[in-house]
Amino acid sequence: MIIHVTVNGQAYTRETTDYKTLLHFLREDIGLTGTKEGCAAGECGACTVILNGKAVNSCLVLAAEVQGAVIETVEGELKDGKMSVLQDAFVQNHATQCGFCTPGLLMSIRDLLNRNPTPSVHEIKEGIEGNFCRCTGYVQVIEAVLDATGQSEKKKELHHVS
Amino acid sequence: MNRAFQYRAASSYDEALGWLAELGPQGRVLAGGTDLLINIRAGLMRPETVIDIKRIPNIDQLSDSPTEGLVIGAGVTINELLEREEVIQHYPLLTACAEHLASHQVRNRATVVGNIVNASPCADMAPGLLCLDASIEVRSQAGPRTVPAHTFFTGAKQTILKPGELVSRILIPATTRDAQGGYLKLKRIAGHDLGIVGAALLKHGDLIRVAVSSAAPTPVRVRDFSTADSLDTVIAETQAAICPIDDVRCTKEYRLFMVGVFLKRLWQEVVA
Ligand SMILES: Cc1cc2nc3c(=O)[nH]c(=O)nc-3n(C[C@H](O)[C@H](O)[C@H](O)COP(=O)(O)OP(=O)(O)OC[C@H]3O[C@@H](n4cnc5c(N)ncnc54)[C@H](O)[C@@H]3O)c2cc1C
Ligand code: FES
Ligand code: FES
Repeated sequence: MIIHVTVNGQAYTRETTDYKTLLHFLREDIGLTGTKEGCAAGECGACTVILNGKAVNSCLVLAAEVQGAVIETVEGELKDGKMSVLQDAFVQNHATQCGFCTPGLLMSIRDLLNRNPTPSVHEIKEGIEGNFCRCTGYVQVIEAVLDATGQSEKKKELHHVS
Repeated sequence: MNRAFQYRAASSYDEALGWLAELGPQGRVLAGGTDLLINIRAGLMRPETVIDIKRIPNIDQLSDSPTEGLVIGAGVTINELLEREEVIQHYPLLTACAEHLASHQVRNRATVVGNIVNASPCADMAPGLLCLDASIEVRSQAGPRTVPAHTFFTGAKQTILKPGELVSRILIPATTRDAQGGYLKLKRIAGHDLGIVGAALLKHGDLIRVAVSSAAPTPVRVRDFSTADSLDTVIAETQAAICPIDDVRCTKEYRLFMVGVFLKRLWQEVVA
């Protein structure tokens, strides 16, 4: 079937199979490989993209279901060759280690900030509940969000495991 | 996806019902897909065709009135329920259940109707819908019928739905609008997780209703209690009404025990 979508502001038309997931459609048919497949079962959040303004697990959506949709992926964070404030904060806070979870985390946080520009520590934790990170222990990720939202003073609410 | 199937998007109920009749067991309804796509991937379901119902006009109906109560269309997602002011205000037990269901991303796709049609014993919306005495509106080419939620579940992952039928709406009567309620769920972690056991309690005037998840082949509603009943009676009768099992996540004794703990906490929060 033929699918028309807008991804990161650009229109694409691609032929694909009825049973392809949005995740594989983005990676294989459009060539945007930033979005990752961890579990393929909705558990890990590595595949998170923003579909018509809402964060979803792209491994649990069919390309066939997104006909005409507007999608944002991690590649859209880069504007004019520059990383977003959120991405910079990830770098500064060592919120990326192996990096596999990062694209999904960035999309979940982008969705959270669209709904709530200055989330509390608790709200950040809830916002990234659907994203597994096996490296950072999450504290650095929360610190990055606090920095990116001008709330660095709240970092003292967090505990590092030493 | 590891298995091939065809995709069709229905533009009306008539079209979806026609396809369901034509395809028989080879056709399956696709709502949010958060159970269906996982089952297909795991080889537990092997439909030749999935029938997407999300493009049917008005399928995302979510309306409330003091006389008609709450209507939840088959396209309404868990997050749409959680975000709706009328639901937050008048049906606190439903939002308590919805908050416990999966992660934010899953809740953006998962539908309330899909949760009950999937009919897992741990379905988090079920205890709330049972306590609120919801009805399930079912459609087929033969016409519509409405069944009470407490007769909808017939076994683990089994419902009264017959081939060719789909659920169009959930209807919640206005009689328990504004009832207080809460839902507590035991999980392995603080974040999102399937329930190990869960209990819901609703209070409306003198009426007390209790329902339990993950403690029997289906979600269970216990008989109607009243505020004149003691907490001990409510706990004892609830524990007698369920039949939890031992499994990898915990023992049956622990499940029974935690139902008592949850009811005590809910009683303090909602009734006392
Ligand atoms: C990571 C993850 C975590 C989860 N956590 C939880 C949790 O904590 N608690 C919980 O209760 N559930 C959980 N679930 C399960 C799932 O998200 C819910 O059951 C969800 O509500 C299902 O709705 P859906 O719209 O996605 O259903 P679908 O997957 O689209 O459908 C489910 C089943 O119902 C059928 N169906 C759907 N709609 C209709 C209809 N209108 N008429 C007839 N048949 C229909 C489908 O054919 C399918 O068999 C989780 C799932 C995942 C992937
Ligand atoms: S790959 Fe989609 S949630 Fe893990
Ligand atoms: S940085 Fe490795 S999983 Fe998160």
